[in-house]
Amino acid sequence: MADVDTTKSMNGLLNGIAQIVYYNNSDITEDLLKTELYPDLTPEEFHALLAKMKGLLKSIATADMDQAQLEAFLTAHTRKQGTGGLSAEQAAALSRFWKGHRGRVRESLLSQCRWEPVLKGLTWRVDLQTSSSRGEASNSPVALVELELGMAGEDSEFVCLEFDEAKVNQVLKKMAEIQESIETTVHLS
Amino acid sequence: MSSIHAKVAVGSSTDSSFLGGRIPTEIEIMAKHLKDVDQEIFRKILKVVVNAIEGKDCREAIKTIAENAALPEERLTFVVAGMYRLLKEALRIPMSSLKQEVFKEDLRQLRIPEEFITDFSSVVFGNRRTTLEAVAIQKGPKLPCIEDCRWRVDVAISTSALSRALQPSILMQMKLSDGRAHRFEMSVSKFQELRYNVALILKEMNDLEKKSILKIQD
Repeated sequence: MADVDTTKSMNGLLNGIAQIVYYNNSDITEDLLKTELYPDLTPEEFHALLAKMKGLLKSIATADMDQAQLEAFLTAHTRKQGTGGLSAEQAAALSRFWKGHRGRVRESLLSQCRWEPVLKGLTWRVDLQTSSSRGEASNSPVALVELELGMAGEDSEFVCLEFDEAKVNQVLKKMAEIQESIETTVHLS
Repeated sequence: MSSIHAKVAVGSSTDSSFLGGRIPTEIEIMAKHLKDVDQEIFRKILKVVVNAIEGKDCREAIKTIAENAALPEERLTFVVAGMYRLLKEALRIPMSSLKQEVFKEDLRQLRIPEEFITDFSSVVFGNRRTTLEAVAIQKGPKLPCIEDCRWRVDVAISTSALSRALQPSILMQMKLSDGRAHRFEMSVSKFQELRYNVALILKEMNDLEKKSILKIQD
């Protein structure tokens, strides 16, 4: 097993798992990983390896381990005997992988627990009304804002809004309150 | 500056009326039918038409007039339609561009009786103008605006995917003027992006107001 378990294949496997489990990349499949990275392993051997790595990654990701926690975790697993055990190369690959992916994996796990539509983007425009079919145009600027709302991976809904200056000011004040609230919270934790 | 504007306005009145080169048919027909109309009835109808422009329901009021006034229904219809059109056209033009004298003179050209001209003029240039303009702005085409906005800052402690999330997120609920409501979540970084953009919008609006070159003056 050690001869096929090269560093390259291990890195590829970990990246592949991350694509499937955390980044929702449907182009990568387990079969693809098997044929591309471990063509010499029997299906049973490959699935055992895949399940082991998936399980380890899940433990690391769920706990959002920092470097020290990760080292302790990996050391404990390398000492384990039998199929559950981890080779030094595998431990090194996991450590390298986690260094590069921790932030992204955490972000993905956080978004998995958001159930409301999220703000995906916004575009805006400031107009000056010059003339209208009814009455005198006010000649004051108007802000048009389009919010893109939707669940991740689903179609977005676009909400168009109109603001005069007073309304923009009002919203901005509200946002200052929110910012203050976030700062207090973050400070406390 | 203002004297030049006044001159331009007076000058234009000799060429064409505030109603444009071609007088709208409703107004022409109304002018013909206004002869011999009792001023009291005229004022009643005018009041109803002004109420209609303000967006009030006037069906009952006009029915009462039709039943009680000694005016054939067809004539009443012509008068109402013409009044509505005339007032709408006059109210469209900013007060600074349409002088009261010019307005009166244009109506004289249409052979509208003098006492009615005074009544029309008092609607267009009187106290009611501000209300009528406010209604016009309100009724103009526009996108919905935010009527109410409520928010909550959450910190997820632990989730099924992450044992210690400790990540703040902002939940926002907006009630719009068209009656719809939207609720959405955002991360702190997205919130900051939103806040930055709102501040930028305000700055752009302030800048725009300073640029007097963009002010369209009559």
